[in-house]
Amino acid sequence: MAEARPDALFEMWRKQVEDSTQAWTRLLSREPPAATPPDPTVFWRPVLDQGLQTWAKLFGQTPATPELLTQWKQFLDQWIEAWSKILGQAMGTEQFAKLMGQSLDQVLVLQAPFRKAAEQHTEQALQALGLPSRNQVTAVAKQIVELEERIERLEDRIDAVLRRLGGKEPT
Amino acid sequence: MGAERLADVIERFTDDGGGPGAAASSETTKQWQEEFDRNFRRFRNLHALVTRPVEPKVGQTPREEVYKKNKSRLYRYASTRRYRTPLLFVPNLGISRPYIFDLLPGGSFIEHMTREGFDFYLLDWGVFGPEDNDLTVEHCVTKILPRMAQQVLASSGARELSVLGYCMGAPISASFVATHAEIPVKNYIDMAGPIDFSKVGLFGLWLKKEYFDVDRVVDTLGSVPADLVRAGFKLIKPTIDLSTGLNLWWNLWNDTYVESFQALNRWANEYVAFPGEFFRQWVRDFYQENKLYRGELVMGGRPVRLGTITCPVFVVGAKEDYIAPPACVRALLDVVGSRETEYAELPGGHISLIAGRGAARHCWPKVAGWLAPRS
Repeated sequence: MAEARPDALFEMWRKQVEDSTQAWTRLLSREPPAATPPDPTVFWRPVLDQGLQTWAKLFGQTPATPELLTQWKQFLDQWIEAWSKILGQAMGTEQFAKLMGQSLDQVLVLQAPFRKAAEQHTEQALQALGLPSRNQVTAVAKQIVELEERIERLEDRIDAVLRRLGGKEPT
Repeated sequence: MGAERLADVIERFTDDGGGPGAAASSETTKQWQEEFDRNFRRFRNLHALVTRPVEPKVGQTPREEVYKKNKSRLYRYASTRRYRTPLLFVPNLGISRPYIFDLLPGGSFIEHMTREGFDFYLLDWGVFGPEDNDLTVEHCVTKILPRMAQQVLASSGARELSVLGYCMGAPISASFVATHAEIPVKNYIDMAGPIDFSKVGLFGLWLKKEYFDVDRVVDTLGSVPADLVRAGFKLIKPTIDLSTGLNLWWNLWNDTYVESFQALNRWANEYVAFPGEFFRQWVRDFYQENKLYRGELVMGGRPVRLGTITCPVFVVGAKEDYIAPPACVRALLDVVGSRETEYAELPGGHISLIAGRGAARHCWPKVAGWLAPRS
């Protein structure tokens, strides 16, 4: 029995090589489908299946089961949750809120002159090129919104007049 | 230890397999085969995600645009209408897009409600640009919502309507209902909408007047850009990306999960900016001064008194909601003048209350069940 063991392993390896070779041959002789994006998994699957089955068999003989992976996932979930709680507690303090407010203020104070300068330069450049600036486009959009509001108000008045005149519901 | 184990493995591997542990080993082998197969599918789906990203088809429930006002749209969804009273759904303005409520077939709140027979209208506030920086909460309450409600009544042919406010849409729509007695609101539902802002959790703390200078933000930036909104929401749950990535890897073998993930991920990364003046009023009047709950809010010259809401009111809070904790949502029942009120605290967070598998089990049937006999 002990003498047969290396032979059994060798036999299994040989069989796997033969199967893989056959799978390769089958795949390479196949016409590639036109205009279909390549899916490497489809290509590799028949070849890998042999190896996966061997590994599954090998792992099946050990005390390890896929349950270990589930336990690992649960551990990671708990770890993330624990960190989330710790961070939540830290961020739920007045000190954190104060620090965050101060940081935001500093960023805005520093940003304000740069933003203003950038806007002025962009506006000047667009003016030189004869193109409308962001402010001008925004002003036009605002006018459209205001016109829409006026039309709505007119519609409301017309509806009210129609109702008074004929007692008919406007459409 | 490792070497010993490997030796054991080879020893057992080369055995004929007739020992007492053969059945167990065969079962374990099967489990490992399944696990390897899952891993194979994980890599296949990962490859597809990276090399052939598919734009998820969201918002598939048929609908028609009933009315539009500036960027805002009113949509009516096709339904097997069984109830006379139409339902106007008012979601949040800014932050995110409303297609989360109609994410995918089989996982859509809107699809569920239309199948139940409700004449469902969605107010999509839209994506605002710099030209809308003057838009205020007051404008939404006194100009946009009344017109949308009138359009709902006109297009449905009904005499009354029900209003459902979700998240920020709840305090906004509650303000509208409280100030517009001429609009016949038959039922009102608040889903995860903060009312008492003194109990609003982390955002309430961070936006305190002493720490957060809303004037400086709006005066400097004009509007509140989407990136700043994203930063605020990411900060409130900093481990969210980590747990999302881990769960994606764990479920990557599952094609259905991947499809849902793609849709949800698209939504979760599509933040929407706030118009500047809207944000200023929202933070100052609601978060910093809690004017709505204290009855000090004035909109369009009318005082907003929630006590004037007398129709049946249903409030739904989410147990794990860290954006609108249940206590600040439930507070609506303390201030409305309705005799018929009900509160339900359901499992889930701010989003999973209304979107996802848990919502389909807990929330949607509850809301539909409360609304049906009153519609």
